[in-house]
Amino acid sequence: MQAPELIPRDVRARLRDLRLFSRKQSGGTGFGLHHSRSRGAGLEFSQYRSYQQGDDPRQIDWKLHGRSDRYFVREAERDSTLEVWALVDATASMEQGDAARPGWSRLDAAKGIAACIIELALRQGDRFGLVTVRGDGISVVPASTGPRQRSRCLLELLALQAQGAWPDSARLRAIGERIGPGALVLVLGDLFDEPCVELAEQLSAARREVLTVQILTAEERDFPFRGGHRFKDPETGRELQGDGALARRGFLERFALARSELSTRLAGSGVRHLEYVLDGPLDAPLQKLFGKPAADAGPEGA
Amino acid sequence: MNLGLLLPAGLAAGFALLLPLLLHLSRRADHRTTPFAALRWLEVRQRPRRHLQLEELALLALRLLLLAMLALLLAQPVRYAASGGSDWVVVAPGIDRDVAWAGLAAPRAQWHWLAPDFPALELDPPASGQATSSLLRELDSTLGDDVRLTVLVPARLSGLDGQRPSLRRKVDWRVIETDTPALIPSRPAPVKLDVRDDRPDDPALRFFRAAAAAWSASAEQPNADNPDIVIAPSSERIHPETRWLVWLIPGELPADVRGWIASGGVALLGASTSAPEATAGGVLWYGRNGDVLVRGRALGDGRIMQLSQALEPARMPELLAPTFPDRLRALFDPPPPPEAALAETQRPLTDGPRLPPAPRPLTPWLAVLVALLFLAERWLATSPARERSR
Repeated sequence: MQAPELIPRDVRARLRDLRLFSRKQSGGTGFGLHHSRSRGAGLEFSQYRSYQQGDDPRQIDWKLHGRSDRYFVREAERDSTLEVWALVDATASMEQGDAARPGWSRLDAAKGIAACIIELALRQGDRFGLVTVRGDGISVVPASTGPRQRSRCLLELLALQAQGAWPDSARLRAIGERIGPGALVLVLGDLFDEPCVELAEQLSAARREVLTVQILTAEERDFPFRGGHRFKDPETGRELQGDGALARRGFLERFALARSELSTRLAGSGVRHLEYVLDGPLDAPLQKLFGKPAADAGPEGA
Repeated sequence: MNLGLLLPAGLAAGFALLLPLLLHLSRRADHRTTPFAALRWLEVRQRPRRHLQLEELALLALRLLLLAMLALLLAQPVRYAASGGSDWVVVAPGIDRDVAWAGLAAPRAQWHWLAPDFPALELDPPASGQATSSLLRELDSTLGDDVRLTVLVPARLSGLDGQRPSLRRKVDWRVIETDTPALIPSRPAPVKLDVRDDRPDDPALRFFRAAAAAWSASAEQPNADNPDIVIAPSSERIHPETRWLVWLIPGELPADVRGWIASGGVALLGASTSAPEATAGGVLWYGRNGDVLVRGRALGDGRIMQLSQALEPARMPELLAPTFPDRLRALFDPPPPPEAALAETQRPLTDGPRLPPAPRPLTPWLAVLVALLFLAERWLATSPARERSR
């Protein structure tokens, strides 16, 4: 199943050069593309170590035993598969888009990036899963692999509508239980809400490699409003009346400060953090995270 | 060119200019709701200022202009004739165009016919017999003060009225000799006078017989033997071809006679006949001493007249005067007023009233402008680009 609605054609073409990898080595089972520090039976020799009780006798290198009269176990680096998760924030604030490009909301961008991740994971033979968070509940497509899994995830993404506000942290704890250790978790959302940031920190603390992509609208970056506006928070329903031009400077200062604080906080928790503004190409955060190091010129999280 | 307003109060409609201003102000969407998730970093210290800002300035300007023009239209602007301008030459109908051109060297002047609306001389000549005096007065009041006017008239000028034109400017009055047919005095057509009197020996009948005999004598084919008079009693019906009737029977005027008058007849009633219509009419004939002899007025298509005095020479000495037949005829058939004269004698006087120049209305042009403005306003207001921006 193709999903041209989610991934534009040019973005799909640029995905060819990307490869998902985790900085934390995965300890999963099976043969895969990813380097792992866990050793055992494998293709590539790593080291000998002395036999310990409980090792499989078949792993003993009998030729070496003949030469040295000791028992050595031959270890190999094991190529493991990676578990990739896309966590899509689908609360009401994700519905927001730019007046300059109607019909292209934060949620659309999040869906597109999630679809890219799924394509990449499928190509690499990795297991992948999808978590969507709405006001009325959390939906999880358990990690698996194969084209049918991609179809399941894309179907879930296509039907996804933004609704409600973030659930409290207690309900979010279930997410951590579904995501296995060492998994790569890509959090796609506006990261304005504390539960979302806390979730990312918790996952990171629980030995998951967490990447956060903060999706911003161009209006939040530039604040181009002129004249009187009634600003309304779609999640809380709170309203503020004000003159756009007068509020611009203070907002830009405070917002930049909040973003840099968030970036610092996430970096301190071991989360790689990126910003994506809606008027940029869809694959820009992926290129930064997974592209060739030469292309990755900018500092992360900036 | 001087502009003026006939009804300056119409400018009060200019208050309507406030309407589009209000419309374009209230369209100001000061409370557009904008979804904004990053609201917590937004601080609004002061309420949005009341922007007295106008939207769609081009459309507003067009609407204001439209209303201003409408108010001006209500005020009825007029233009007073421009002072200055080229000289005018008017040619009375009856003069050949080429003769007129040949007779006067005025290359820079405007040449016109002396006819209603003053058509240019290049156009076909209008019928002669226009109201010359009236046209001259109109032209004099329409033209600017310092426009020199030359009038070319034939030697015998018709279309005159009771007064010699007295204009406010000196007119170059040129009489062009034309070969006009000689005037032949026309003889009055023979008519029958129908006299109704129940007394055949009434002495008053003598005067009518004498008048009819005098008319017959001056007719083209005089026949004194058959005077144009019929004397009959009232019982006889009025002949359909009878045009003039003398009714000398006392008492109420019968209804059929009244009907005959209303269908086009002319009747002279005796003093003893009672007919309130005639008594209420104007005086047609004053006596020598200033006493009223005949009153009369129109009745339907005809005319009704009544003698105020009995037909006795003692009461009415005019009966014996030699002019009686002519006066009687003039009662029945009033002669036309003189309207032609030798042009040389009708040179306009220059002591005319200094009237303010007649204004010309600008209303039609302004109405066209208003219509165009309205179309432009509609075009702009319903343009697809504007619909999209809503």
